[in-house]
Amino acid sequence: MSARYGMVIDLDRCTGCGACMVACSAENNVPSLPQATARTGITPILVRKVSNGMDGGARHEAFVPILCMHCEHDTPCVKVCPQQAVEVDKATGIVMQMPQRCLGCRYCMTACPYHARYFNWWDPAWPSGMEKSLNPGVASRMRGVVEKCNLCHARLHSAQEKAAASKKREIDMADYVPACVEACPTGAIRFGNLADKNDPVTQDAHSPHAFRFLARLGTEPKIYYKSKEAWVRALAEPNSSRDSEVHHG
Amino acid sequence: MKVTRRDLLVWSAGAAAGFMVTPVPWKLLDDTSIWSQNWPWIPQPPRGPVEVKQSACTLCPQGCGVKVRMSAGWPVGIAGVSTHPVSRGALCPLAYGAHQLNWHPQRLRSVRHGATASSWSDAQKAFAKACGEGRIVVIDGYPGRAASSVLRTFAQKRNGDYRAVFGSDARSLAPYENWSGVPASALGYDLENSQTVISFGAPLLDGWGSPGRFTRLWAERAAGMADPQLRLIQVEPSLSRTASRAWQWVPLRDGSEAALATGLARVLLEEHLVSAQGPMPPLTLAQAADQTGLTSDAIRELARTLVSRPPVVAIASDDNPAIAALNVVLGATGARGGIVRRSKHSDVNVSADAVIQNARAVLIDSTVPWDFVPHTDAEVFRFAAWDGGSGKADWLLPAPGFLEEQTDVPAAPTSAVETYAVAPALVKQPAEVQSAAQFLASTDSSLPSSDSIIHSRCEDLFRARAGTLCGLETTPLAKIASAQKLEEQLSNGDVWVAEALHPGSLRCVLKEWPAPAGPSLVEDWSSSWRAPVLPPLALKLYRESSLRKPPEGRNA
Repeated sequence: MSARYGMVIDLDRCTGCGACMVACSAENNVPSLPQATARTGITPILVRKVSNGMDGGARHEAFVPILCMHCEHDTPCVKVCPQQAVEVDKATGIVMQMPQRCLGCRYCMTACPYHARYFNWWDPAWPSGMEKSLNPGVASRMRGVVEKCNLCHARLHSAQEKAAASKKREIDMADYVPACVEACPTGAIRFGNLADKNDPVTQDAHSPHAFRFLARLGTEPKIYYKSKEAWVRALAEPNSSRDSEVHHG
Repeated sequence: MKVTRRDLLVWSAGAAAGFMVTPVPWKLLDDTSIWSQNWPWIPQPPRGPVEVKQSACTLCPQGCGVKVRMSAGWPVGIAGVSTHPVSRGALCPLAYGAHQLNWHPQRLRSVRHGATASSWSDAQKAFAKACGEGRIVVIDGYPGRAASSVLRTFAQKRNGDYRAVFGSDARSLAPYENWSGVPASALGYDLENSQTVISFGAPLLDGWGSPGRFTRLWAERAAGMADPQLRLIQVEPSLSRTASRAWQWVPLRDGSEAALATGLARVLLEEHLVSAQGPMPPLTLAQAADQTGLTSDAIRELARTLVSRPPVVAIASDDNPAIAALNVVLGATGARGGIVRRSKHSDVNVSADAVIQNARAVLIDSTVPWDFVPHTDAEVFRFAAWDGGSGKADWLLPAPGFLEEQTDVPAAPTSAVETYAVAPALVKQPAEVQSAAQFLASTDSSLPSSDSIIHSRCEDLFRARAGTLCGLETTPLAKIASAQKLEEQLSNGDVWVAEALHPGSLRCVLKEWPAPAGPSLVEDWSSSWRAPVLPPLALKLYRESSLRKPPEGRNA
């Protein structure tokens, strides 16, 4: 049976600590380069601070982790890639980026409505000896390719290998937990198989407080968000709710 | 047959078109991409057997449980241990990149005397000479460890002083020491049983205490709930991370936290909202309102809110005595859900002064925050795993880095129960480094080693037969077969947890309202970090996102 891996991120629980960003970089061997900036760095998951635009005691703030939304339908990056370096894995629903095929044209970055793709401007480099601390399950990518979240595909491989070793066709979801989910101290990021109706994450995705960013584009993203705050939910369609003043920090 | 120029052009065009429909160009393109990823200068991860070991993070005194993924003998990933009784699987963001710290470019690998390179033998000679000539002061940043015992014993044998540097969370417990006679190191916050927590600038959701402890409690009992089981009220001038997630945020004038605490105590006593009898605070409600910028009604309403959902506890961001006195008025000292005594036997640790006089030498352990720089004429011997910049010491001595030395982990400073764990050395300690305890043991052969003290502490625990051992399973200590088995299980990541003492074993008497203190200092997890450098990956938070402002004085 095909899976549709996805997430529900409870924005009322996110404290903006940034543990997901650090854990993601460690898992995926993303280097920390001194020359990288907010524009040129690689952050497959990026926590943004947003506010309701008010001042003083009326001000409210929230933190929104942004990652590849793993669009299911008419996936914009897949449609524009001239190299077929991006594809939606039919078995998992994961939007896969293949750096071996990527020519670095960056059409996909332009097409992505979520700005969740990053160009690798520099060859990966670590201080002498620090390469010993790299995750052996993930190859480091060369410069000139586009990078993004792949839902910790190396962890999926490990879970599949474990399932195969015990002659099972399906993986145990407890064996496949992306690094950001594992690191989140408040359990704000939850991961599951959206094709499984009994999965608590699937049920959470259908809660009245759940929403998806830019759902009107019809790309069926598999990253859901959740909040009981109306002004936070209004972030989902910023152009259609001009009355709600939303400020990105 | 004559070959014309036209024939040549047609043949060339046909060959080019035909070539494009063969797999050759595409295969070449693909191979080029693959080859270009395998240039010799592209770093390759270590290859070897992968295993997961458990330990405890020793980079600050919280001692959170860590799972360390090792490949070819090197740590390649860090994660939290969900069964850890205090951190409960959560870690601060810095810990996730801590496994890279040992290769940080600023790693200290040789002895330095001033600006010049020196040797361990020269450092030992200079230290022995200084010890023979006058008083010595030993400063520890993580008291209670086996290594701390070595430092304390050495100082006592030489008629010197043993001093400690505390984090802001531990300092918030200091006022109760004077009022109860119980050492602050034996006290903790019983947050697991609190229903209302009022924080005066303490970053409860941003690394205060054990980063996982309160965030887990808040996530389970408060996050996203209109009427939470745990009410978090954050008193803070600006909308911090904690304030933005709190059930109620009380913005007030900068530095007026003590005035608000005093005003709240006044309302509680005047309106008989609490049963406690204590000295009436000197500040009137109108004066408190004037100083804080809040209205009298707002302070009165806040006082009523506090007592509407007990147990309630107030947490200060430092040793502000007015906020501690508010806890006494609230009846939160020696009470369930408040300030409790966690240990019957604890050492009294004297806080290190910033100015050290009449000393010949000052020895600073590597656990002391790099920001702590004593003002002294004495010769300073400073241990550090990373060099945060010159001018901090006469002698800079390379200490073991992350997970390079076995150490024991006493209870976190704000924990409500006594715990004990052992963090084994998962990485071989480089030959050119040694800890302060190892250095002193080599100077004075009569000193016990840290390992022998850990061994004897395990034997003492085993003999007491009290408490439980928390790991994958929770086992009463009485069922552990031997002291050796206990030490083995502790070294494999289990944590010993004592039975909680009766809350009434702490009694605070407030004879007079304390004098007002200065403004509170607001900190987050990066300011409780002891090392002068941050993990390179954590710097991505500052350089590659607008999530946080870079901490001052921390180098890349």
